[in-house]
Amino acid sequence: MKRLIVLLGIMGSLIVSSWPSFSQRDPNARCLLECHGKPDFKREVVPGQFKSLYVDYEQLKVSVHKEKLCVDCHTDVTAIPHQRRPEQIHCLQCHYQGNVVGAPVRERPEKYKESVHGKAFERGDPNAPDCKSCHTVHAVRPPTDPLSPVYKANIPKTCGGCHIEIYTEYVESVHGQALRNNVLESAVCSDCHREHDLFPPDDPRSSLHPQNVANTCARCHSDVKIMERRGVPVKQVEAFKKSFHGIAIEFGILKSANCTSCHGYHKILSSRDPRSPIHPLNLAQTCGQCHPNASDNVARGRFHIIPSDPEAGIVFWVSQFFKWLTISVLIGLFLHIAIDLYGRFRRAGGTSHE
Amino acid sequence: MSGERTIERLNLQLRVQHFALMVSVTLLILTGVALLYRDSAFGRFLIALEGGFEARGTIHRVAAGLLIATAFYHVLYILFSRQGHEEFMQMLVRAQDFKDYGAALLYDLGLRAEKPQLDRYSYREKFQYWAFALFVVIMIISGLILWFHNWFFGLFPKWAFDVALAVHSGTGTLILIVLTLWHLYIVHLSPGRFPVDWSFWDGKISEKQLREEHPLEYKRLKEKGLL
Repeated sequence: MKRLIVLLGIMGSLIVSSWPSFSQRDPNARCLLECHGKPDFKREVVPGQFKSLYVDYEQLKVSVHKEKLCVDCHTDVTAIPHQRRPEQIHCLQCHYQGNVVGAPVRERPEKYKESVHGKAFERGDPNAPDCKSCHTVHAVRPPTDPLSPVYKANIPKTCGGCHIEIYTEYVESVHGQALRNNVLESAVCSDCHREHDLFPPDDPRSSLHPQNVANTCARCHSDVKIMERRGVPVKQVEAFKKSFHGIAIEFGILKSANCTSCHGYHKILSSRDPRSPIHPLNLAQTCGQCHPNASDNVARGRFHIIPSDPEAGIVFWVSQFFKWLTISVLIGLFLHIAIDLYGRFRRAGGTSHE
Repeated sequence: MSGERTIERLNLQLRVQHFALMVSVTLLILTGVALLYRDSAFGRFLIALEGGFEARGTIHRVAAGLLIATAFYHVLYILFSRQGHEEFMQMLVRAQDFKDYGAALLYDLGLRAEKPQLDRYSYREKFQYWAFALFVVIMIISGLILWFHNWFFGLFPKWAFDVALAVHSGTGTLILIVLTLWHLYIVHLSPGRFPVDWSFWDGKISEKQLREEHPLEYKRLKEKGLL
């Protein structure tokens, strides 16, 4: 019987030139030849509804797992053909810190289990993504491969597959626009939300917890090289941290403004864009979210100033005045004390004129 | 001549006002410095000592309330009390004060034989008084702008708040320096006074001190037979 099937397979390969694409010496041949290599191989899930069980082996052979055997991942398949439906595979069985098979462990994949996605999956949410939702099933390619769904330029689309509304906001933002213009150093979803350790923003572990937002933005916005290339000022985060809002956030007053409070998040726009919350004409409304009396006055003055930086304008000059006044007073008062002590010492030494 | 502190130099009014000023300014400096040096271990220690970041702010504002009340009371005192008015008139700066200061420096340096003859309030007290009067006015104005920024938002441009902040921290630092190196040095820390001159508490100084430090006042009181 088996021989007959093999024979049929060989005959099939002669008929359909593109199939099968594997050699019979391929250790995976048994899985493919008899079942999973056939495009119409499927299983009836419920009467009349089928699920394809076909595996595009050519995709697997160009994937990062091309050296792997089917049973390397499907470890519960101990006999072929298998009798029971194999369980969900566990990517983490190889992708953990210190694994011996050389599986890369970037961006802490194990954190997925604690993430919003992992938690939702655990609860049985049918829409919750697992590894394959982003990395695909058999066609896994490295993130550096432009065909990979986790290649930087593809990430917004990959996440946007579920987060459609956010995706439409993002593509309009400065980051989305830059990415469309092939600026790969622009921010995509994972640059702010991170890859696997995605937490809700009220979780202190989240990269977008109010106390972590500035540092998350700083990963690019404090990088002199990137910001110079993009023509974006680089001292904004540093200035924020020295500001009222930055200090309050640092000390745990979470209602204080962070970067996103004024700039927005998914749809971040340039201050020159009239739709932007930081456009001078919109500032009164933006500041007004927290400061009810804010008028157009709030647009009159520079933002993100560092007092010791000449760009701070009048604040720089006021600071300089106080700096030099303080230094002069300090020197003057020490001199006065020195003269006073010298006078007392001299008189006590018996050379007094008294 | 007695070294005992028998002469009342500061009346109760002045002592109470000074005490309120001392308490409020000490609290304001401790809480202000905590914020200014928040990045250092010292600043963190002060913030912890003050009960955390928000409590620090509350103490600062309560102390500010006390300072404002004291300043307001002091203005009323010099305007409407005969006693206060007389004290204030003696505080006014005169050309003689500058001459006295020069003479005191020359005397200390050994370039002048005789000690300048100082009155009840000399350049030392006047510099203290007027520097702090100016400081307090600046701190109250800039502090109120920062405190009630939500109200002032309708009035001032954004840069005014940045300037208020720069002025508030700059003047605050200056106050700390003048307070320690001039006021505390002269009154408490200088040799012969160290560690503390209790006149701030009971207002009394000795006849010896009066004769040495305020000879003109001493002479006047002696002539009037008040000693």
